[in-house]
Amino acid sequence: MIGKRKLFRSLGVTAVAMATLFTIATSSGASSSGTIAKGQPVLIGASLSLSGDFSADGQAFQRGYELWAADQNAKGGLLGHKIVLKIVSDASSPTQVITNYQALISSDHVNLTFGPFSSLLTLPAAKAVARYGYAMVEGAGGAPSVFQAKLTNVFDAALPVANGLVPFAKWIAALPKAQRPKSIAYVTSTDPFTEPQIPVAEKIIKAAGVKTVYYKTFPAEATDYTPIADAVAAANAQVVVLGSVDVPTVSAFMQAFEQAHYNPKAFIATAGPDQGTTFTKAVGLGNANGMMVPNAWFGGSKNAASEKMVAEYIKKYGGTASGVNADVAEAYAVGQVITAAVKATGGFDNAKIITYLHSGVTMQSVLGSVKFNALGENNLPTAFTFQWQGSKFVEVNPTTDPGATKILYPKPAWKN
Amino acid sequence: MNGTAVIHSVIDGVLTGSVYALMATGLTLIFGVMDIINVAQGIFVILGAYLSYTLSVHLGIDLFVGLAITIPTLFLVGVVVERVFLSRIKGPEKVVMSILVTYAISLVIEGILNMVFTVNDVELHAWYVSRSVLVFGTYLPYIYLLGFGLAVVLLGALYVMLYRTRFGASVRASLADQAAAALVGINVKNVSTICFGIGIAVTAAGGMIYGATNAFNASSSYDLISRLLVIIVLGGMGSIGGALVAGIMMITIEDMVSVIWGPVWSSLTFFLILVIVLSIRPQGLFGKQSVRMA
Amino acid sequence: MSRLKNVLWLLALVALVLFPLLETNPTYTSIGIFTLIFMGCATSWNMFSGYSGYVNLGSAVFYGSGAYTIALLANHLHVPANGDLFWFVPLGGLVAMIVAIPVGAIALRVRRHTFVVITIAIFFVFQLSAINFSFTGGTSGLELPYISWFVTNFNTPFYYMALGIVVFATLLSVAVRRSRFGLQLLAIRDDEDRAAGLGVKVFAVKLTGYTLSAFAVGMGGALYAIFAGQIYPQFVFDPIFDISIALMAIFGGLGTLLGPLLGALILESMQQYLTIRFSNGSLYLVIFGALFLVVVLFMPQGIVVYARDLFSNYASRHEEGAMVVDPATSAGTPS
Repeated sequence: MIGKRKLFRSLGVTAVAMATLFTIATSSGASSSGTIAKGQPVLIGASLSLSGDFSADGQAFQRGYELWAADQNAKGGLLGHKIVLKIVSDASSPTQVITNYQALISSDHVNLTFGPFSSLLTLPAAKAVARYGYAMVEGAGGAPSVFQAKLTNVFDAALPVANGLVPFAKWIAALPKAQRPKSIAYVTSTDPFTEPQIPVAEKIIKAAGVKTVYYKTFPAEATDYTPIADAVAAANAQVVVLGSVDVPTVSAFMQAFEQAHYNPKAFIATAGPDQGTTFTKAVGLGNANGMMVPNAWFGGSKNAASEKMVAEYIKKYGGTASGVNADVAEAYAVGQVITAAVKATGGFDNAKIITYLHSGVTMQSVLGSVKFNALGENNLPTAFTFQWQGSKFVEVNPTTDPGATKILYPKPAWKN
Repeated sequence: MNGTAVIHSVIDGVLTGSVYALMATGLTLIFGVMDIINVAQGIFVILGAYLSYTLSVHLGIDLFVGLAITIPTLFLVGVVVERVFLSRIKGPEKVVMSILVTYAISLVIEGILNMVFTVNDVELHAWYVSRSVLVFGTYLPYIYLLGFGLAVVLLGALYVMLYRTRFGASVRASLADQAAAALVGINVKNVSTICFGIGIAVTAAGGMIYGATNAFNASSSYDLISRLLVIIVLGGMGSIGGALVAGIMMITIEDMVSVIWGPVWSSLTFFLILVIVLSIRPQGLFGKQSVRMA
Repeated sequence: MSRLKNVLWLLALVALVLFPLLETNPTYTSIGIFTLIFMGCATSWNMFSGYSGYVNLGSAVFYGSGAYTIALLANHLHVPANGDLFWFVPLGGLVAMIVAIPVGAIALRVRRHTFVVITIAIFFVFQLSAINFSFTGGTSGLELPYISWFVTNFNTPFYYMALGIVVFATLLSVAVRRSRFGLQLLAIRDDEDRAAGLGVKVFAVKLTGYTLSAFAVGMGGALYAIFAGQIYPQFVFDPIFDISIALMAIFGGLGTLLGPLLGALILESMQQYLTIRFSNGSLYLVIFGALFLVVVLFMPQGIVVYARDLFSNYASRHEEGAMVVDPATSAGTPS
């Protein structure tokens, strides 16, 4: 009736308006101007998971960013400008991440952006900031899918994940026949972080004659790990490789193994044991003894910058070197990379920073050397394997590395 | 895959499933008597778990002993919530409104729990949590046996209450037909309040067992509530026996599939079975067939 | 009265159209895009669930189907990274409708409360399948071409596309409601058996309504996929989405036209804004939940019905010999 006609007419008007707008839309090509007025602070924005699924890691990252900012400010900031961090929460949601980075750049007018936590969030975030020409240096998006997107503005300071288990696999393969395990079980969560690591390790280990007696994946959202862990225990392999993303998963498997009176000779998990006190509090120090995890950094690293950072962390938050979460170092390294880039380019121009970081230059950080390839991967840090021995978190692989401690093998029995 | 693994998974399923049944019973009771779908049931389970955690870590009280405190506490919480919020829900769209209100309540509780306890996962510890006993060639963890025992005791108590007491009779009357019950002189309002309180109190026990067997934080409630909802519908909404059977069935099927085919297929298979069962028998296994759906 | 209402609708539309031109800050247009997508999905959801009384808690099945359709097409047809991708958005809606047919055929055989749960179960079947099958990319999800047109107005085409979806969903709702088909849906809600007895082909009507409601939601999913550039199974098949859509429609007013629009507008934009402002993630949950609770308890039938009753009570009190409308019976009556 009358109402409908009015509505349709307004639609026509709208359509014409839309078309007109499209054609006259102008772009002002906003990108960071590169220069900051004297006396003004440099604003760095990041979206972190401060609640939701990734919150424990998100908070560790926050500490890392803040520690770096405080240290750098003590040295006079970046090119004389005080660093001010603007960190917002994305509740571990990709929808929120997109809005957050847009807000940071357009509303808060940050000069630089740091990455979020987790490969799942890094990709949408990187795309959102790429449109503004911003660089995204991050330390937690290392899954192959992040680099397959071939974005030019992503730089992952931490080691890409796929080869994390290689030192461990090589160690197993190199054991003398008498000591080498006869059987091995692989069980992993269906996650882009864990899944790619397992086949790489299996290939090396199988070639050394170790039989795979169990290889199954479990859903990432599983809440009840008992039947899965029981099945692994029933397979009675001498070594267990667990593809986990967090402490609760590892803790559940360990508890189920203990209940089943099953103690493998070696037990490595892709994530969890590297979370310092969060891990030992959840499982107990006695049980943690002998647990292994791959990573490119640990609290006892002999790297000078790392030692300094660890000392400051302990001063501020307490605990021991072994208790420092690797996320803190990864976040800190992000800050160091930006420091190097800003110093080298003499300003805050993101385009220049991106070019500089792609130029093949080698930088130093708490993680060791950093050099980015065309995809933004940093392949320089060695993948290490770490192990809890008593209350200490030590490096055990590669065995040829000067910093390596003798590996504790076979793993001691479960102890509450 | 061998026979003992399958049998082991069945035993695991029965033991774990009974705990889920315990949690689901509260939910189905509440729905049956009050026409309220309490989607906050999941967060109440977590609340119970956190209460047990606080008692255990800060006051050194054993988990099972602590139930003497957590169960009455959650009963009171339930009564207050019902009186202040839920009794205000009236009208033809009561069921739908109850989803909204209880969802809002669950958000508030989740936020408060996050602020008080932080988002870091915690787990309940006790000396018996990691120990197990050897039975017929498989190890059965103490905690699951104790949990099963607790579920049996509480469900048994619930049964006695429902079928042997006068109050229980008024609950069953309200379950069958609210209007008729009111006509016969039953104070449906009070019955509802107490039922809600009982439904929540029972989750305190479920929460303790859940917290001892899983690392949890406030956001674990989402997984929980979707499972609990599915259990009560499969069992038949309003049927307590149905909740028990369905709870055990669900976990057992998942555990068996996990062993036979692989863990990624366990949830999928279960949901497919659920769809099939509901297509054939829409009221669930033990639900009443409605004559008229108004 | 009716003319005033139409003018108000028009004004609202004009305001929405002008919004990105006046507010160029991409933060707000970004929030606007997500809000509009939710508005379209909530309206579409209400078109079936609100009118028929069958509360569907698995609409993410449509959303995810639309998203995966466009992602798979983009990858297999090597669609270039420009506006061409937008032509496929309606295709996402179409595929969602095709998916809705067998799903609805199974789900609609059961009644009310069982229906709610069976939609949840079917949703999980879809989510778990997307995670476990390799052609959907598994847990790594699927990627879409990186679109890089002019930066300051990057959000704008998405905004207008989302607005288009909202307008489409609203018009479809209006058309359904004013048709005989709509009356049949309402009859099913009031008393399904009696409706069947009166000659309504109940199953066919329900299935048609269910399928129609899938279209806009599928388009919403497809648009989201292009905007985000990357989809993961747990985010496009998201149980929170299922609940949110239903809540927004109920919050605004189940069965009304304005209700879902208003509900989505308020809830989604508030949620995104609160998350940015109160970065301590959990505080926003408490605020959001408390606000929600207060509104729901004082306006139990949704904002729209409450406001309408307030207004009509006021109006009728100032007319001679007018009867006061009883709030309980006016719930969900077509406005």
